[in-house]
Amino acid sequence: MNFDAVKNALIAEADRAGLADYEVYFMESSSVSTETLKDEISSFSSGVGGGVCFRCIVDGRMGNASSELLTEEEMRALVRRAIDNAKNIENDDKAILYEGAEHYATVSPVAVENPDAADLKATALQIQKQTYEGCEFVADGTQSGVFSEKIRMELMNSHGLRLSNRVAMCGAFVQAVVQKDGEAQEAFDFQLGLDQNGLQALSEATRAEALSKIGAKEIPSEKYDVIISAKQAYSLLSAFSSAFSAKQAQLGLSLLKGKEGEKIASDVVTLVDDPMREGCPMQTPFDGEGVATYRKCVIEGGVLNTLLYDLATADRAGVASTGNGQRVSYAQAPHISPYSFYLGAGELSEAELKKRMGDGLYITEFKGMHAGCNAVTGDFSIESAGYTVRDGELCEAVKSFTVAGNFFELLKGIEAVSDTVKFGLPSGFTVYGSPDLLIRGMSVAGK
Amino acid sequence: MIKQSLLEELLGVAMSTGGDFAEVYGEHTHNQNVSFVDGKIDRIGDNVLSGVGIRVFLGERTVYASTSDLTREGVLACARSAADAMGEGSAPVSIRLTPVSVPDRHPVKVNPIDTPIARKTAILKEACFAAMEESDKIAQVQGTILGVDHEILVANSEGLLKQDRHVRSRIVVNAVASENGENQSGGCSPGRGMGMEFFDTIDIPEVGRHAARQALTNLRADYCKAGQMTVAIENGFGGVIFHEACGHSLEATQVGVGMSEMCGKLGQKIANEKITAIDDGTIPNAWGSVNIDDEGNPTQRNVLIENGILKNYMIDRLGSRRMGMPMTGNSRRQGYTYEPTSRMTNTFIYNGPDKNEDIIASIEYGLYAKEMGGGSVNPLTGAFNFSVREGYMVRNGKICEPVRGASLIGTGSRILQDIDMVGQNLATGQGVCGSSSGSVPTDVGQPLIRVTKITVGGR
Repeated sequence: MNFDAVKNALIAEADRAGLADYEVYFMESSSVSTETLKDEISSFSSGVGGGVCFRCIVDGRMGNASSELLTEEEMRALVRRAIDNAKNIENDDKAILYEGAEHYATVSPVAVENPDAADLKATALQIQKQTYEGCEFVADGTQSGVFSEKIRMELMNSHGLRLSNRVAMCGAFVQAVVQKDGEAQEAFDFQLGLDQNGLQALSEATRAEALSKIGAKEIPSEKYDVIISAKQAYSLLSAFSSAFSAKQAQLGLSLLKGKEGEKIASDVVTLVDDPMREGCPMQTPFDGEGVATYRKCVIEGGVLNTLLYDLATADRAGVASTGNGQRVSYAQAPHISPYSFYLGAGELSEAELKKRMGDGLYITEFKGMHAGCNAVTGDFSIESAGYTVRDGELCEAVKSFTVAGNFFELLKGIEAVSDTVKFGLPSGFTVYGSPDLLIRGMSVAGK
Repeated sequence: MIKQSLLEELLGVAMSTGGDFAEVYGEHTHNQNVSFVDGKIDRIGDNVLSGVGIRVFLGERTVYASTSDLTREGVLACARSAADAMGEGSAPVSIRLTPVSVPDRHPVKVNPIDTPIARKTAILKEACFAAMEESDKIAQVQGTILGVDHEILVANSEGLLKQDRHVRSRIVVNAVASENGENQSGGCSPGRGMGMEFFDTIDIPEVGRHAARQALTNLRADYCKAGQMTVAIENGFGGVIFHEACGHSLEATQVGVGMSEMCGKLGQKIANEKITAIDDGTIPNAWGSVNIDDEGNPTQRNVLIENGILKNYMIDRLGSRRMGMPMTGNSRRQGYTYEPTSRMTNTFIYNGPDKNEDIIASIEYGLYAKEMGGGSVNPLTGAFNFSVREGYMVRNGKICEPVRGASLIGTGSRILQDIDMVGQNLATGQGVCGSSSGSVPTDVGQPLIRVTKITVGGR
């Protein structure tokens, strides 16, 4: 069944059930990816998927049910399940189906077709070759891969809303394994898009990073000044991003509750949420409820301007939705999430930031963030690795230590940030970004 | 799900470009999650997953294609795309399947998907209200009751055709205690490979009270001091230490490509002789149990380490080809969109020779990790981390004040040697393990153990 058939089947069943307020969200996707091992393609995957979510309001409460089994019988069951679910909901959220905005932004044109399978394989083999080439220490286990995916979504409701969007993304990754002096190390990095110059640099940089970890030392437990590298900083932001959700705040599960308009971070901290960031492959002009999305400074000059709202939390707070009722997949009801969510750049180059720190640690690896971070309390204690910095210069590699602190205290303690924002891989429409961050006196546990 | 004749046709198409083995995996899964927050039922997630994944092998190369389009045209296109990615040609291959029924070691009485939502909300509220009533410092309680009905089908070019059904039930309660602008959290999340009858086997209010007590304990705790010390890790979810520090490094996913610190160590002493570790997917109705793995092989009890000696790895079909060793019934995947790989089921350190009271009494200064959170590992280097959800300082053999915010880091090969006392109260805890083939339910477990020295991350 295509979208029209699904929609028509659901509307017919909704009419039979006497529903006046309902919504259909449809998503379909296709993806291909390939990986190499040694000098061969080791795996190739392709997927075609999609599904539909039906939401409806019954006695003032919102129910939903979703499925990827797109048959007439299942569509009838879906409506019944959504009604049944609505009848069991007890929360006081105002159930709202949006009527639509006057204006929606236009997304950048996207590559509509996935790259050809033969091209993908050739690119993966080329990256793998570049990763091995000219370095005797690269070991088997090294993998290169290329991935590509495209997604199309449609949103309609009984209040006349009709929206659609399509996005596509492709990229490459390298996992370089090196063996030297009886020690094995690895490093992973990726690139969005398949720009050839970038891929050569990706191979070389990833291999160099793996090699630089060989012979890493342990360090004593004490307080250190640290620079958290951009990639680790955006991982940290990701782990604590739910604290910026109005839903979490309203439930008392975020320490940012009641802090809008207050200073929560140092002067150098800006935090932006941008659904239409230039260069981002996952742009969306509307959220999962149909609300028009827009760029906003969540933190500006250290002041928390706004939390992120969907329709229900905005209604409760007496403000307008910020267009953050996102849907990561067809199977998820709208859930507050950011888009391109990033800490803004500063003035200093990465080298100047190290000079400013003087002596300390440059953290280039955080591991186990899902376990080591608690977004409710703000506490974190994370396995880390990186390099020592003396007089502003990178020195030896260090490993096997933890960096511990509290995210909300850390925001206040950011002394300076570098001038380049780096972004991670998008997950749904969400992608995190950050420059390097300088923080004084972090607790480190080592040997 | 799919007729036998069509499965045979799909396998024939999948093999038609020179593959030496093909497999069709079909899935129909119904998940229903009812969530509670702020004293009320807040959300109900209700989703059906349905699709097939088709895999073709040629030696150690694999191709995987999946689709949610179960029409004849949809699945044939999926098989064709797998075949085209493997090679060229259209050599007809005739496959005859022989359906084999799978003995059910994990019987289910009441399927959670067929259960009225009201029955689930009653159980969930009983647990959550018990948490709220534990103290007026409990500021928020979140809970979810989960039901999964996961039907699978596996057919392959060797003629295998099996179907199985995995039903799971779980309740998760998280409590937040709040005082003077500070939040602390606690949780409890028991689950089993059972239907609604699972909830008759547990003390439901105690699930909530446990979460609340943990949050309250953390609220009065100070930050854990940083540094290396002796650590005693309690049973149950404490077994995550073996899961992360060693289990992942024994999966063929890593070992088969030389990406594990455990490569080439079969028969060698890799751990203290007090350690025997087992992965057992056959335990009746356990959280990580299944009758057959996702390649159709029966699960089994695999002794991984016996008295400190490495005895076996966990091996799927691709790993078996790469390593030249037999499959061990450990092939798992979250669903049809994932190519399966070797994964753990119910993995635990077996009871040892030490009395639990002797373990605590032996520690002059250290940490008692009563309950662990999650963690992760780099199998290549063995470097692992995990968080302590509830911990206490130990001084002069006595458990003293609670501490919070601690994590433990180390390397797998070293900690296996440094576990020098193994107690006798083996129990398991339920987790969801993430890896390349998605998220799968796994049990972790152990008795109380002592690690002579490990880095404790604190402040």
